[in-house]
Amino acid sequence: MQKPSILFTGIFGAFAISVGAMVLIPHTQLASMQPQVQWDEGQNSPGDVYPRQRSIAGREVYVSEGCFYCHSQQLRDPQYGPDLERGWGSRRTVARDYLNEDVPLLGSIRLGPDLSNYGWTMKIAEKDGSEKSVGVWRNEHENDPKKPGARNEQWIYQHLYNPRTVFSDSKCPPYRHLFETKEIGEKVSPNAVAHNDSHQVVPTHEAERLAQYLLSLDRTHELKEAPTVIKPKEAKK
Amino acid sequence: MNATDETASAPQGDVTRNDNNVARRDIENVERALIDQSARGPVLTFFTMAIFWLLVSVVLGYIASKKLHAPDFVLGPEWLYKLLHMQRATTTIFEHLTYGRVWPAYTTALVYGWCSLAGMGVATWLIGRLTRVSIKAPAVLQFGAWFWSAGVAVAVITILCGFNSGLEMFEMHRAARVCMFIGYLCIGIWGLILFRYRRQSSPYISVWYLAAAFFLFPWFFGTTDVLSSMPLAGVMKNIVNAWYQNGLFNLWLGCIGIAAAYYLIPKVINRPIYSYNLASIGFWSWIFLGGLTAMTRLSGGPVPAYLVTISVAASILMIIPIVTLTVNFVRTMKGHTGLMASSPTLRFTFVGTIFFSIAASLGVISSLRSVDSYTHFTAWTHGQMHMFTLGFFSMVMFGAIYYITPRLVGCEWLSRTFMKLHFFGTAYGAGTIIALFLLGGLATGFALNEPTADKMGFYNVEGIANAYMPVKTYIGYTLFGLAQIIFAFHFLLMRLRIGQPAGEPTLLETPGEGH
Repeated sequence: MQKPSILFTGIFGAFAISVGAMVLIPHTQLASMQPQVQWDEGQNSPGDVYPRQRSIAGREVYVSEGCFYCHSQQLRDPQYGPDLERGWGSRRTVARDYLNEDVPLLGSIRLGPDLSNYGWTMKIAEKDGSEKSVGVWRNEHENDPKKPGARNEQWIYQHLYNPRTVFSDSKCPPYRHLFETKEIGEKVSPNAVAHNDSHQVVPTHEAERLAQYLLSLDRTHELKEAPTVIKPKEAKK
Repeated sequence: MNATDETASAPQGDVTRNDNNVARRDIENVERALIDQSARGPVLTFFTMAIFWLLVSVVLGYIASKKLHAPDFVLGPEWLYKLLHMQRATTTIFEHLTYGRVWPAYTTALVYGWCSLAGMGVATWLIGRLTRVSIKAPAVLQFGAWFWSAGVAVAVITILCGFNSGLEMFEMHRAARVCMFIGYLCIGIWGLILFRYRRQSSPYISVWYLAAAFFLFPWFFGTTDVLSSMPLAGVMKNIVNAWYQNGLFNLWLGCIGIAAAYYLIPKVINRPIYSYNLASIGFWSWIFLGGLTAMTRLSGGPVPAYLVTISVAASILMIIPIVTLTVNFVRTMKGHTGLMASSPTLRFTFVGTIFFSIAASLGVISSLRSVDSYTHFTAWTHGQMHMFTLGFFSMVMFGAIYYITPRLVGCEWLSRTFMKLHFFGTAYGAGTIIALFLLGGLATGFALNEPTADKMGFYNVEGIANAYMPVKTYIGYTLFGLAQIIFAFHFLLMRLRIGQPAGEPTLLETPGEGH
C-alpha cells in the first residue's frame, strides 16, 4: 500500500540522495581543485606542471572518430591491475590530470591499448652533450620482437592508414578517409603512407592534428597525490 | 498477501469469467475496452516506431560487431553495387562508418529508439488500464512520440556523420536532446494527468514503478544535459555521465520493465502477486539503491575513492531488491510454469524477469574489486548492458506487445509459428550475444592482467577477441536480427488487421495438446 504523497516524496528522496551523493558532493570537492604548482622551483604557471598543452584540434578528430570506445585514457593503481607494468605509464592517473579537459576521454573499454601517455618521452643525453627525446610509451614487452622501433608521427600515419600492416591481428579500423591522394611534387613526402611513380597518399590536416594530439598525451609528470611507481628503463641508459 | 482483493483487482485476469459476477465483469470489460480504445492510436504509434528502431539497431549492431573482426567489410550484396556502379560510393561510406561511430549509433538506436519507445508505449497503456482513466487527447501523446523519434533520428544520423559529445550513452547532439525532451514532456505529462485523475484509490505495484520511471527520467536527462554544457572541473563530467547511465538503465528502463512484468505475469496466470510486502521492500530498495550504484563504472579511475566505495556498498545491497523481486515473481509463477508453453506473453515476460535477476546479480558480482580488476575495461560491461537491454527489457517488452496489440487492433496474432520462431531467435540470438560478450570479456580480462613477457603484447589480447567475435556476429546478431524481422512482419500484419478473429488469444500450443 503506497499513498501517492509518500510515493512521490520517496521517489524524489531517492533522486535527491542519488544526485547529492554522486554529483553534488564530488562537485564541491573537485570544483576547487587547482593545477599543482611547483613552488620550490619558483615556477607557478600551469604550463610548467602540464608539460605540453594538448592539441585541442586533434582531440576533436579523436572524439569524432570515436577512438575512446576502444582506447581508455586512465591508468589504475597497480593494486587494481598491471596497467603500469604494461608500459603505459609511470603512475596512476588522478583527477588533477584532467583539469583542463572539457570532457575527459576516460573510456570504459580496452579493445585497444590505453593511450593516457602515448606521447611519453624521455630526454637522453647524447655522447656529444646534446639531448635527444625518445618515446618511452610501449605496449609490448621490452624484448618483444614485434615491438616497433619508434612510435613517431610517421608510424602513427602508417597505423592509421592500415593498422594491419603494423600488427596483423589488430582490430583497429583503417582511417583511409583521413588520407588523400596527391601528385608527387618534387619528391615523396616523408609522411606519405603509400606512393607510386606519380601519386602519393598523404595525411590530411585531420590526420596531422590527430597525430599531434596523440603525441601530446603525457600524464607522467610528478604529482604529490600520485607518486611515480615505475621509472622508464630507457632513462637509465 | 492480505489486501490483495482490493489492489489486485487490476491484475485479476480477464481470461476466465466469474459467472456469479457477470454484470460487474461485463461493465469492467466494456470500460477496459473504452480505455484501450482511447490508448489505441498513441500506443500503436509507439510500438510501430519502436519496432522500426529495433530493426535499425539490429542492423547497426551487426555492422558494429562485424567491424571488430572485419574492419574493411561492406554490408550488402557486392554484385548489386557493381551492377549499379556504386561500389566506390558504398566502400567510401563504409570506410567512414568505423566501429567508433557505429557503436554509439547502435546503442543510441537501441536504448533511446527501441527500448525507450517500446517502454513508453507499454507504460502509456499500463497507466491507462491501472488508473482506469481514458486518454482524452491522444494527439498529444502521438506528437510526443514523433518528437522523441525525430530526436533519436537526428542523434543516430549525426553520430554516424561524426558528431559525438564524448559522453557515453549521451552522445546525442544538443538539438536531438531538446527534441527528445519536448517529446518526453508531451508523454510524461499524460502519465501524470492520468495518475492524478485515477479511479483506483491505492495504486498497484506497477504504478509505483511507472511513477518512479516517469518522474526520475526527466530529472536525470535534464540534469545531465545542463551539467554537460557547463564548464565543470575535469572528471566531474565523467562522474555525471556514469551517474546518468546508471539512472538510465536502473531507474528508467529497469522500472518500466519491472512494472510491465508485475502487471503481465499475474494477469496471464490469473492469480494475484505472491506478496505485497516483498514488492514494497523491493520497490523502495530498488529506487534508493539503484541511483547509488553508478560509480562502479569508474572503479579504479581518477575519481574520489569514496564515490566508488559508496557504489560498491550500494551494489552489494542491491541483493535485497534482486532477491525480493525474484522471489516474488517465482513464487507467483509457482505451479503455473506450464502456462509458459502456451502463452507467448508469459514465456517472454518470465524469461525476461529471469534475465533481469541474472543481469542484476552480475552487477553485484562484478562490483567487487577482485572481480572488477578482471572485468573492468573488457567486453564484460557490454555483456551486462546487453543482458539488461536485450535479455531483460526487450523480452518483457515483446511479452507486453504480444499481450497489448490484440486488445488494440481487434484481432489476434496470425501465426503461432511466427511467435515461436521469434521467441527462439530472440532467446538464442540474444543469449549468444550476451554469453560471448561475457566470456570474451572474461578471457580478455585475464589476458590483460597477465603481463608476462610472452603474453604481454596487446596482439595476444586481440587474438582472443578475434576468436569469439565472428561467432557473435554470424550467430548472435544474425539469429536475433532474423527473429526481429519476423516479429516486425507479424506486427505489420496486425496493424493491417490481418490475423485470427478476435476472441480466443493465439497461443503457442492449444491447451490440452500437452507440452
